[in-house]
Amino acid sequence: MLSRRELLTRSGMGIGALALSQLVPEFASAAAPGNPLLPKQPHFPAKAKHVIHLFMNGGPSQVDTFDPKPELQKRAGESLSDGNLKTERPTGALFASPYKFSKYGESGIEVSDIFPHVAECVDEMAIIRSMHADVPNHEPSLLLMNCGDARLIRPSVGSWLTYGLGTENQNLPAFVAMCPGGYPIQESQNWQAGFLPGIYQGTHVDTKHTQIEKLIENIKNDRVGRTEQRQQLDLLSALNQRHLEARQNEAQLESRIQSFELAYRMQMEASDAFDVSRETQHTLDMYGEGTQARQILIARRLVERGVRYVQVWHGEGQPWDSHDDIEVNHRRLAKQCDQAIGALIKDLRQRGLLDQTLILWGGEFGRTPVVEMPKKGSNQGKINGRDHNHWGFTVWMAGGGVKGGYVHGATDEFGFKAVEDRVHVHDLHATLLKLMGFDHEKLTYRYAGRDFRLTDVHGNVVDAVIA
Amino acid sequence: MHRDGFSLRTEAVEKWDWLRADVGVLQGFRVAARCLSQFFQSLTAITPFLLVAIQATTTVAQTATQPAPKAVEFFEKQIRPVLVEHCYECHSATANELEGGLMLDNRAAMEKGGDNGKIVVVGKPDSSRLLTAIRYQDENLQMPPAGKLSDAVLADFEQWIRTGAIDPRDGPAPPPPDSIEARAKKHWAFVPPTKAERPSIAHGSWPTTDIDYLVLARLEASGIAPSPVADSRTLVRRLYYDLTGLPPTFEALTQFEANAAPDAYEQLVDQLLDSRQFGERWARHWLDISRFGDTKGYVFTDDRNYPNAFKYRDWVINAFNADMPFDQFIKYQLAADQLAEGDDRSHLAAVGYLTLGRRFINNTHDIIDDRIDVVFRGLMGLTVGCSRCHDHKYDPLSTRDYYGMYGMFASSEEKQEDDLPLRLVDKQNPQEVGIFLRGNPGNRGDRAPRQYLSFFAGEQAEPFKTGSGRLELADLIAARDNPLTARVFVNRVWGHLFGNALVRTPSDFGLRSDTPPHRDVLDHLAVTFMEDNWSVKRSIRRIVTSSVYRQSSEIRAEAVARDPENLLLWRAERRRLDFEAMRDSILAAGGQLDRTVGGESVQIANQSPSKRRTLYAFIDRQNLPGLFRTFDFASPDTHSPQRPETIVPQQALYLMNNGFVQDAAQAVVGRVDAADIGQRVGQLYRLVLAREATPDELQLATRFIETDNPSTDIPPGSPWQFGYGSFDAEAELVSFHPLPHFADNSWQGGPERPDPKLGWVILNDSGGHAGNDQEHIAIRRWSARSDGAVTVRGKLEHPSENGDGVRARIVSSREGLLGEWIAQHNTVDTHTMTLSVEQGDTLDFLTDCRENPSHDSFQWRVTIRQVEGADNQATGEWKSQSGFHGPEPEPLGPWQRLAQTLMLTNEFIFVD
Repeated sequence: MLSRRELLTRSGMGIGALALSQLVPEFASAAAPGNPLLPKQPHFPAKAKHVIHLFMNGGPSQVDTFDPKPELQKRAGESLSDGNLKTERPTGALFASPYKFSKYGESGIEVSDIFPHVAECVDEMAIIRSMHADVPNHEPSLLLMNCGDARLIRPSVGSWLTYGLGTENQNLPAFVAMCPGGYPIQESQNWQAGFLPGIYQGTHVDTKHTQIEKLIENIKNDRVGRTEQRQQLDLLSALNQRHLEARQNEAQLESRIQSFELAYRMQMEASDAFDVSRETQHTLDMYGEGTQARQILIARRLVERGVRYVQVWHGEGQPWDSHDDIEVNHRRLAKQCDQAIGALIKDLRQRGLLDQTLILWGGEFGRTPVVEMPKKGSNQGKINGRDHNHWGFTVWMAGGGVKGGYVHGATDEFGFKAVEDRVHVHDLHATLLKLMGFDHEKLTYRYAGRDFRLTDVHGNVVDAVIA
Repeated sequence: MHRDGFSLRTEAVEKWDWLRADVGVLQGFRVAARCLSQFFQSLTAITPFLLVAIQATTTVAQTATQPAPKAVEFFEKQIRPVLVEHCYECHSATANELEGGLMLDNRAAMEKGGDNGKIVVVGKPDSSRLLTAIRYQDENLQMPPAGKLSDAVLADFEQWIRTGAIDPRDGPAPPPPDSIEARAKKHWAFVPPTKAERPSIAHGSWPTTDIDYLVLARLEASGIAPSPVADSRTLVRRLYYDLTGLPPTFEALTQFEANAAPDAYEQLVDQLLDSRQFGERWARHWLDISRFGDTKGYVFTDDRNYPNAFKYRDWVINAFNADMPFDQFIKYQLAADQLAEGDDRSHLAAVGYLTLGRRFINNTHDIIDDRIDVVFRGLMGLTVGCSRCHDHKYDPLSTRDYYGMYGMFASSEEKQEDDLPLRLVDKQNPQEVGIFLRGNPGNRGDRAPRQYLSFFAGEQAEPFKTGSGRLELADLIAARDNPLTARVFVNRVWGHLFGNALVRTPSDFGLRSDTPPHRDVLDHLAVTFMEDNWSVKRSIRRIVTSSVYRQSSEIRAEAVARDPENLLLWRAERRRLDFEAMRDSILAAGGQLDRTVGGESVQIANQSPSKRRTLYAFIDRQNLPGLFRTFDFASPDTHSPQRPETIVPQQALYLMNNGFVQDAAQAVVGRVDAADIGQRVGQLYRLVLAREATPDELQLATRFIETDNPSTDIPPGSPWQFGYGSFDAEAELVSFHPLPHFADNSWQGGPERPDPKLGWVILNDSGGHAGNDQEHIAIRRWSARSDGAVTVRGKLEHPSENGDGVRARIVSSREGLLGEWIAQHNTVDTHTMTLSVEQGDTLDFLTDCRENPSHDSFQWRVTIRQVEGADNQATGEWKSQSGFHGPEPEPLGPWQRLAQTLMLTNEFIFVD
């Protein structure tokens, strides 16, 4: 349990601000104005308080991961009688998955053998096999998945949620977007605040780095030691106190005084949060080796400390975009993250955090069950990969009030198009907001003369995936 | 894969063909549907009220007609809630705009039907158009438009009509609501502004200017006294920031206080309005409006920079400094190509207002949409962009208006010249476009004439005659009889001078903007602005010389009780410096500020940030450095009516830890020349806060300086050092001298290689070059930051095929020589056993040339791991490669830390 004092400092609300709100009732509604990240209540009580979005950018293939298609295996090499659905590039005959699917857990849900560790957690997962988006191109689909609109400047999901909920730990950024090696395509637009105040924008962290000063801007001071800095802040506090007293207490002055103390603590808290070497060997072993393991473990450390929204990108560019050599590439990519994702679910469960942490796994779209045809310059003529597919793909969720061991919807017999209980990206967003305690039609922000929302005018909550 | 240029281009072509062909359609529908959401959002607001009203009338209805109680209950439970939730938005007396003349408010209204006749045939559901509509049976009549109701609801309606359409809601049909057009004609902002009579007031001595009378009259009517004038220091500081974005110096303040002239304040106002910094400050405000940026946003393969974007910024600075009449300022920005005279190209950059927005990967529809938005929200406070898919739901703006403007922009083409930002010129054959039905470019309706917004054009509406029509539009926007343009601009000016604008939605003056409490002040300013030939400087002067501007910002409890939000302007607002003013002030304190006006944009978020004013910062809209966002910089993505003012710890982190602020603190101390502590503190206060320190502050500062003890802390900085020296093999001792010169990412003897004195010794991130002899061994030194056990693992490589190789040795200051290795045309491992170190111990990594001092380049990467416990769990790690660094910044001394602290104060960052 947190003491009252800890609660206040963690929540970023100074004692002074509280006192002020009691003394001057007019300011009660605006206690500590200026800090828009104070924790807020959603529309209704919800289990999920944090989100970890594991973004498999580039588009993982559903028929090779979580959507087994025996018919595809049987009829590999055949052409579809009605022709292929239009995707980005020319495609050819049905192309069997090179991997084997097996049943896991009590639910007996089938998962591909490239995700053995994730598969062990299948009873915690709600797998949506009937996702669909609008177009088969990375840029618009990334923006649709992240911001709810394929082209226009709109706030990202993480920005909406930090706007709606604030954050529980003022000593860390509220919304962290980790991507090793740089940016995915569409770059920082994927975690943009759009027309929301800039403070709701995701803080990008390049998890290729291990040193804290490269992970978070201005977190370290190489010219003033800790003791000296404390002395500076003590002096600052004394000077600001005199300034404050001469001016009547005013909340924004108080709020800024607090912000220095928060920053001071953040220096330690952030260093700690991003330092996975503080984990036990057992935990480190559970997550495994490599960058994915490190950043997924960091994600756990962040939500554990109250960070609201953590997005974990697989890597810069579009790593899952296997237009060719899909067998080798998907296996390699899955191997990089499988163990750590499985560990994340188990670890959160063991720590009692899984219920309040919503994990979302997926890409911006899926891939075709038909093979991509060779085209000059685009896939090296190998004829062993799959094109983008927005007609049907899979995402899964776990924790955070999600129904475990459950499969929702279905694609056609080959896994090309979502046909049963179709879930559009807007519906996924509506559902995610509901899991976080929001009516997606009511979480709005007024801008340019009208009230905007994440789901625009769309979105139907998929109640079936909610436990 | 995807990163090679060829495939990117191939993909790009396919991609956008696809988008044009298909997404357009989809997008059209999605955008169309979007605006309908407004229905539901406002509906949720009015529903409770309606329900209460409805319940109140129900009793009457029942007693009058006595329908069967069951039927009434059915209506109340199954029918009425649906009508309220899904229909009233457009079909009731409370509708914003009544659709199809149909009202569903009561029985009489429902029986009457709409423009197309009756909607209910009692007892015959299948003949009732109400059912046809809600069943979506007719493609052209589908209600509600946002989505079909559930089958259960449809069945209820069918049953209701079949069983007699019992409706207990008595009374005559209500009168239809006013149309948007009718309400717009009466809307305060759409009526031309006039100057109000000077009201009579009780406190005759307070007002200085006309607007003071207007403000005071309203304050007196509310029983609130205005605040006294701020003290002169506060007032002058406020004025400096408002007019120039820079703080006054101590000397300027002293000079002002010494000026006994009765118009000393007015003199200062004029002086500041005449300064070049005025144009810089106000240009930046305008760049928020024009969503200025130096880059195009996300691009696929194009160059992401806009050539010469800065010339638009400089044009704006010059326009404000020259006090260009605002009407002319508008005309140049919309149509400079048609106004340029002879060889004078100086105004051609002005069209950057239109062209320097985000490129949306060259999607024409979105580019034009952005231009329509920046013109109308920016100049007239109208959200014309809302009419992209259907007529505006609240304002008298139609898709016809929108696509008229679209046609105007589509009739202009872009032109890139070497010395200018992207320009627009009219096409040879200007064209009208068909209205995109529901915003869908693949589904065109009637042609929209290129002409001014029909509501505002009134009866004189006629298509533009010259070229695309941009100049004609500019003339109409900048016309004296335009009710909005002057109001919108003076409202923005007011906002910059008071913290809050008079109309709190500065870019939306449409029907939903309520009459501001001080409408007469706004109107007075708008009219005099135009009467003064649209002089921005005179308008600003009029405001800052008023008594209302000069008030103190102190909070008074009795006034807070009556007007907590200060809507009536009984005091000034305390404001936090915006990003530009804050950063410029930090530079100014240290005397570092480069006051050059204009020129190419500069980097401010890199390792050696520019010392120029912050408005010259390079704005990369796609990768805007976190620094900008942290301090609430206006998003360069779209027109920005006002900036948020947040206070977050990331701001504090920047001020505490960023090298830019530390360098500034150092510069401030560099300006202090006194020897005596008290005098030095006094100088610091004058430089940073432009005032004398109080005795109390002097005491605090003195104590801060005097109690500064050398820190027992872990010293800041890197544990790695780079040097050369020798090794005493007997004593196992290293003599270490730091290498004096850093260049090309290497430590070396001097600028030349080899250095005349120190020879070839070089160290870089992965290795280096051994020195010429045993007195010049290359030494990489690591110092332990804490006690503990460490292990070293490494790889030494001698890549050359010549020479006798290199020798590597690791020496601990505590335990002596730990190991020795030789690499000659090969690679060897250089690992050590676990050894214990105490804080301050060193490990030296020596590389020497052996006998032969040529071909001695080497790679030697080492990793030092701190380990704990029996299983050697790693608790810390230092890598020679990532730990490599150039010259380290000097630690800040107590005076610098004091100077920095003063720059961190609330006093520095807030303007009273």
